[in-house]
Order: sequence, then structure tokens, then C-alpha cells
Amino acid sequence: MATTTVKPETLVGKKVRRREDPRLITGTATYLDDIKLPGMYHACVVRSPYGAARIKSVNIKPALELPGVAAIFTGDDVKDLPSVPCVAQLPGLRMPHHHMLAQDRVYFVGHPIAVVVARDRYLAADAADAVEVEYEELPAVADPEKALAPGSPAVHPQWPDNTAFTFHQEGGHIEEAFREADVIVKQRITSQRLIPMAMETRGVVADWHAAEKSLTLYSSSQAPHLLRSLLAGIFGIPENRLRVVAPEVGGGFGSKIDIYAEDMLMTFVTQRLNKPVKWVESRRENFLGTIHGRGHVDYYELAAKRDGTMLGLKLKIIQDLGAYLQLLTPAIPTLSVLMMPGLYKFKHISADVIGAFTNCFPTDAYRGAGRPEATHGIERMVDILAAELKMDPAELRLKNFPAPEEFPFPTATGLAYDSGNYALPLKTALAEVEYDKLREEQKQGRQTGKLLGIGMSAYGEICAFGPSPATPTGGWESATVKIEPSGKVTILTGASPHGQGEETTFAQIAADELGVNIDDIVVYHGDTQLVQYGIGTFGSRGTAIGGAALYYALQELKEKIKKFGATLLEANQVSLSGGACIDEKSGKSVSFAEIAAAAYRALKLPPNTQPGLVATHFWEPPNFTFPFGAHVVITEVDRETGEIAIRRYVAVDDCGKIINPLLVAGQVHGGVAQGLGQALWEQAVYDDNGQLLTGELTDYAVPRAHMMPWIEASHTVTPSPVNPLGVKGVGEAGTIGCSPAVVNSVVDALSHLGVRHLDMPLTPEKIWRIVQAGGQA
Amino acid sequence: MKISGEYLLPVSRDDAYTILQDPAMLARAIPGCETLEKIADNEYHMKMKMVLASMSGLFDGKVRIADPNPVSQFRLIVDGAGKIGFMKGDGLLTLTPADGGTNVHYDGSVEVGGTIAGVGQRLLDTTAKMLIKRFFTKLNTEVAGSAASSGKG
Repeated sequence: MATTTVKPETLVGKKVRRREDPRLITGTATYLDDIKLPGMYHACVVRSPYGAARIKSVNIKPALELPGVAAIFTGDDVKDLPSVPCVAQLPGLRMPHHHMLAQDRVYFVGHPIAVVVARDRYLAADAADAVEVEYEELPAVADPEKALAPGSPAVHPQWPDNTAFTFHQEGGHIEEAFREADVIVKQRITSQRLIPMAMETRGVVADWHAAEKSLTLYSSSQAPHLLRSLLAGIFGIPENRLRVVAPEVGGGFGSKIDIYAEDMLMTFVTQRLNKPVKWVESRRENFLGTIHGRGHVDYYELAAKRDGTMLGLKLKIIQDLGAYLQLLTPAIPTLSVLMMPGLYKFKHISADVIGAFTNCFPTDAYRGAGRPEATHGIERMVDILAAELKMDPAELRLKNFPAPEEFPFPTATGLAYDSGNYALPLKTALAEVEYDKLREEQKQGRQTGKLLGIGMSAYGEICAFGPSPATPTGGWESATVKIEPSGKVTILTGASPHGQGEETTFAQIAADELGVNIDDIVVYHGDTQLVQYGIGTFGSRGTAIGGAALYYALQELKEKIKKFGATLLEANQVSLSGGACIDEKSGKSVSFAEIAAAAYRALKLPPNTQPGLVATHFWEPPNFTFPFGAHVVITEVDRETGEIAIRRYVAVDDCGKIINPLLVAGQVHGGVAQGLGQALWEQAVYDDNGQLLTGELTDYAVPRAHMMPWIEASHTVTPSPVNPLGVKGVGEAGTIGCSPAVVNSVVDALSHLGVRHLDMPLTPEKIWRIVQAGGQA
Repeated sequence: MKISGEYLLPVSRDDAYTILQDPAMLARAIPGCETLEKIADNEYHMKMKMVLASMSGLFDGKVRIADPNPVSQFRLIVDGAGKIGFMKGDGLLTLTPADGGTNVHYDGSVEVGGTIAGVGQRLLDTTAKMLIKRFFTKLNTEVAGSAASSGKG
């Protein structure tokens, strides 16, 4: 019998290599598209080339006659089925019925019109081309501000003002702040539409077992249990007969939390045909049919005293929602409102959100989800205020942070920041770049025309979503720990990861708690038939909530292990360490493996104790966590080409306690890459007719390896009191801290030319034009 | 997208006006044109193969001549759709006598949608100009050819 080996050292906090990587880098992992079932059909979706049009006719006959075509379904076939779900709730929210296939109208380019099912995916694609759709083009609107203007084309004819909702929140007495103010600065700031761009596109395999009336659905999902619950409701399949499996998931960044039309379509098709069916999204479809991020037009007003004391902040957000509401679409800008004060002691805030329908694909949670927009806005406003007051931007920030002893810090938006030392990362980053020296270099350089920029952001974020009352789907997480009779440890986490490395970090936590070797621990996730109900991985919650649930499950199990240990050692009390129970009195010990064997053999049970070693814990967090940090970016702008070179990128992040520095570094690097993408290159562009002009990777500029600067990442550690691990979360930090630091740096480089603000992305063309015009945008 | 330009056809204005509305001539000169059939007065059904960026596809559509003002002006309206999206064009052609023939000035707009917009937008401008240039060059050759053959005859 295999035995569990004892581990001499602790692993939490160590650079343990990702246990996931061998299968990923050898190409042996099973992604959605690797799944092949006997007799499986393939589906291809026919999509609208129009941003807005009436469907005059759909002729499937020529396509049906093509070889290998099994079936074609159109809007009529699914007209009675429920809407693609949105679970976000806001008072007065207008929720259009989002049919999985278009009915009489299309609302965006890429709108699914029909699904063609054939023997293989090539035949399906050829047949999809043969479906004849006759359209009558209608006027479209793709810009949220234009959509809200009177006389604009109505995205949904029943709501001619294109307004899905308005939302107002205030704290303190905003008018008082503006009366008391010496200085008021105002700025319109945009946060452009972005494509989340997971390396693996979406995909679904649906397999209906008619005899059992049960469905197995494989989907590249961040939240398999949520997908199961929603599909069960939509199709009336009992949840215990619906198995959802998220296989290896190649990135999501929020875009795979959603339930999509194709998840529903494949469920529909497999039930109709009694055959398994697969749909895999092409990259071009991914641009058109997977949620986009951001899409903000923000109007800021900041009121301050002459000495730099920030008093009040007003914000109007116009959120480009797209044509429909996906899972969380309308909730995303409300997160921006929560985080609008940033790290500063504003007593008074007022926010208005207007959700605008446009003839575009819906926006939803993309890495940071509402917080990058808020952080970008406040961090730009602080720099604009600093310029107005002729104050150093670092000094202005430091002046307005709450002090470490003021935590938990209550914000004007109703939150309680858990713990923080906000000055420390900023001071650390500034010292790292030798801030004062750089300012001197900048001054000198300007005399010779050199454009050097020093930019900073001090960011905060709201993570670990979250207390259940504050979430639309429940905010807890779950873990099961099973110690097998051989002493091997199996962990089942409800927080289904998609690149976060929980198979490594969760094993580290368990190895330390149980005192066993990490190789004896396996972490499973993503299969609703195997794993107890869980919420999912998003909003930097995996470790902070899922890890905490695991921690508590381990504590329960440790108590039981000690009971068995005491019984075996015939002692009153034993301690558990180094993979063994020890009787301090006699010095005798019994190994973990022996205890496990005894717990299952059950010859002698401790009093009031059942056989076996299994514990499940569902953990509800008492608060969010609030990671923070500072990014400092040194840029040089080329006058002749408008290109921006990043000379240094210093990130000092505080995500609380660190389980694995390698994974934290990976999260920061990846996050910064996506933040830089927004700051410098990426933009999803729809033209006035709702045509997506950036429809593939030649037009949509995702940063490539050679475009990345060297990232000097370090950390301060302020443990979170919210969870027993002291962790805060780091999945989105890099993205949130990045874009304002980069833009602040470039504005700083051009400030002496009169530049006060620049909207992203800072493409060479945009910068070149400004420099050539002597600073006039 | 706006397009405009001009081209010199080495024929008289009367001939140029006729040639530019002659289906047989147009079918030969329009790049990628596979068929052009008259379906009504001043209205034709056209099948055209289009290559743009990494895509190619067959467009099925209509060509319509509107607001004719012989022999100096007419509008050409093109409307087509295919597997890779749709395209719409509306142009005003103005013919003026010039040294060595007739100056054809065109001024109009082109709109595309679907995959062709998402993928080919960057190249649309240059592609449209190239196709128009090819059209006139081909027309020129056709004109020269028919002039030569009629000369012989």
C-alpha cells in the first residue's frame, strides 16, 4: 500500500512551481476542443452582417440539401425558450428578451440567426454559408453618447431613449463639498471598449442522454455550477441530472463567467437530435460574440482645498451596454461607483450611471470589471488636480490617504476598506525609481526637447466577491477535503480556476496544514458531478474565499485526525505536526497514513466519531478584501514618431499574504500586459453603422511579448483581517494599477506643452499629432 | 468611406456615356465580374468575386443606373451581399470633354459590412482605388480593342 510521505518544510509563501504546467506545456491537457464523443455532430452559427436590420426571410433549404447536414434551427424553433440570462438587478432595469437566435430583428453584427448542425465542422461551415437571409437594414447607433441623444435610432424600438437604467448613489453632502472648495477640476475621461481575448476561445459540447433524461455539458466556463443552475432553469432539466464540466480553460478574464446563447443552443440541439454536438468559437466569432469590456464615458468633477485636501467627487458614467444584457452587464458600472474614491479620504461623493443600449455586443466583466475604469478616472483626476494646484502628484496623494491606524476605513460609498498602508507602496516605488533625480532629469531634458514622463497610480480595488448580500449569485465558496484510506489527500474546490494555479496554491495550503508532502495532494475542480456546489473564479476571489473555505475544511479534518490519533496512541490529547500525531506526554507518535488507514478500517473509533476522513466547508466572507498598491512608470515619447517607450515599470502591489510568489508575479505580469494593452494599443472600434472594424488580431492590437517592458514587481504585505489566510487577491491588480500610471506618465511628459489629459489608447498617431501641434489635442 | 477620382477615356463623350452603360462592356471591365444581366431598364443583376485582405467571396447583387443626364452625368448604385458580408456603393459619374477623349470624374461612397468590414477595413480604401483603376484600365483596353476592330472592319 502506498504511504503518505512526511514533509519537512512549510510551502506557503514559497516559489512552488505550478503543478498544472507539465500537462499544459506538453500539449497533453484536455481543452474543450479536445473533447470528442462518439457520433458527435458539429455546429456552426449563422450570424448577422448588420448592426441593425429587420429579418425579411431566412431560407434554409439550400443549406439543408448539402452533404452531411443533420439539421438547421432558426429563431422560430427557439422562440418560446427563456432569455439568455442576466442575473444583475437594478431598480427599473429594462431587460430585453435576449433570444438565443434572432427573431424578427438583429441588434448587432454577429447576432446569431441560425445554427447549422452537420457531420463535421467544415460541412457545417459550408452549409452555414448557404443559408439565405434577406435583411432590411435599419439605422444603427454604436456610440453610447450618441445613443442617448434625442432622435437617435432606437436599439430596441420599445425604448426610444436607449436607456436601460439610471442609477444614483451619494454619500455625505456633495453640494457642501463643492461650496467649501477652493478648486474644482473637471474632465471627461473615457475607458474604451476592449476585447477580453482569452487565448482559448469559447466552446461547448452538449451530450443528451435520452434514456436517463440527463445532460452532460462541457463548456469553457469560469463558473460551471452557475452555468448548471441557469441551464437547469432555462430547459427544465433537474439539476441532479445536469452535469457541467469545465475542462482545461485557457483564460477567461471575466468573459467566461457569462452564460452565452451558444451554451443554450447546444443544449437545445442535443436534445432535439439525441446526439452529442460540439460548437467551438472561431477567433473572429470571439470578437463578435463574446463579451467586451469597459465602454465608459465618464464625467468627473473633483472639489478640493487649495492645500490639496480632497473634499468631494462627482461622477457621471455613461456605460455602453451593447444591445443586450449579459450575465452581469448592468452591475459592472456600479462597481466603478463603489471604488470611485480610490484610496483617498473623500467625505462626499455623488455618482450617476446611465446604461445606454447600443447596436454592439454587450459589455460585461473584463479583468478588473468596473474598478479599472474607476481607478483610471480618480488617478487621472488627482494628477489633473495636482497640475491645477501646481503640487507634486506624489505629495498630493500622500496627503489624502487614510493612515494605517484608520482601518477599517469607512468610505463615502459605504464600504469598509479592510486594512492598508497606502503610503508604503507609493513611497517604495518612488524610491525605487529615484523620483527626485528623475524630476531633475526631466527638467534638464525639456531644454533639449526630450520628452520624459514620470507617472504614478496609487490604486485600490475591491476583491473577493463577496459577502452574499452584495452579490447576485451568492458570494461564498466551498471546499471538500478527503483523506483517502492510503493517506493521500483529495481536495475539491468550488472555485473552478482557469489559469489561476489553484492546483498548486491550494495544495500548498493543505500541505502545510496537514503536514504532508504536496505530491500526495491532488486538487480537483470544474466538474459539477464531482465537486460540491461552488460559485466560481472571478473578481480575485479564488484564494481569498475558496482558499479560506479550504482552510476551514482542513481545520475540521485536523480535529478528527487528532481524535483518531489520540485513540491510536491511547492518549488524552495529541498534537498534529509534520504529518504525524504526537502524544507530548509519552513522546509516541502515529503517522498520518496509519491514522488514515485506521479511520477507514474503523476497528476502534474515537468517542462520538464516525469512520472516514472527509470534511466539507462552505465559507461566507464577512467583507470584501481591498488590495492596493502603486505603479510608477517612466516613459520617453519620441517626438518624430509619437511612439512611447517605457523606460521603467515599477509595480509595488499589496495583496496581503502571498501563498506563492511565482503565481503572484505571473498575475501581476499578465495584469500589466492587459493594462498596457488598454493604455497604449487596444480598442474595439464600431463604426456608425455598428460594424466592428477591429474584427481580428491584425486590427486589434493585443500586446505581444516584444512590446512588454521589464516589470520590476515587488510587494508590501498588509494581511487582510477578512479571512484566516490574510490574503487579499491579485488577479486584477496589475490591470487596475497599470493604465492610469502609463497615461499619467505620458501626460506628464507632454504637460509642459499644455497637455492636461489624453484618452486611451495612446497610439503613436495620436501622440504624434499632439506633439506636432505643440500640445493641442 | 468616400471615394473620388478621375480617369481619361480616349473616346468622345457620347461614346464614353454609351460604353459606361453597356452591360457587355461593363461585365468585361469590372474586376471579378462573373455575370451581368439586365433585369429591368437601367437595372442589372451582377455576380462578382471580390478579394480583400485575407478573404475572398462571391457577391450577388444589383447594379442600378439612376438620374441619367445624357451625356454628361449619371449615378451608379451597387448593392451586393455574399458569404463574407455586404457592400454598397453609390457614385456620381460626370463626363466632360477633354484633350484626347473624355474625362470621367467619379465621386461617391462605399459601405461594407459583416466579416469584410471586421477584417478588411484597413485595406478597403486601397482596394477600392485599385479596383476602380483596374476597371478603367480594362475599359480603356476594351475601347481600344473595339476601336481597332471596328477600324479594320
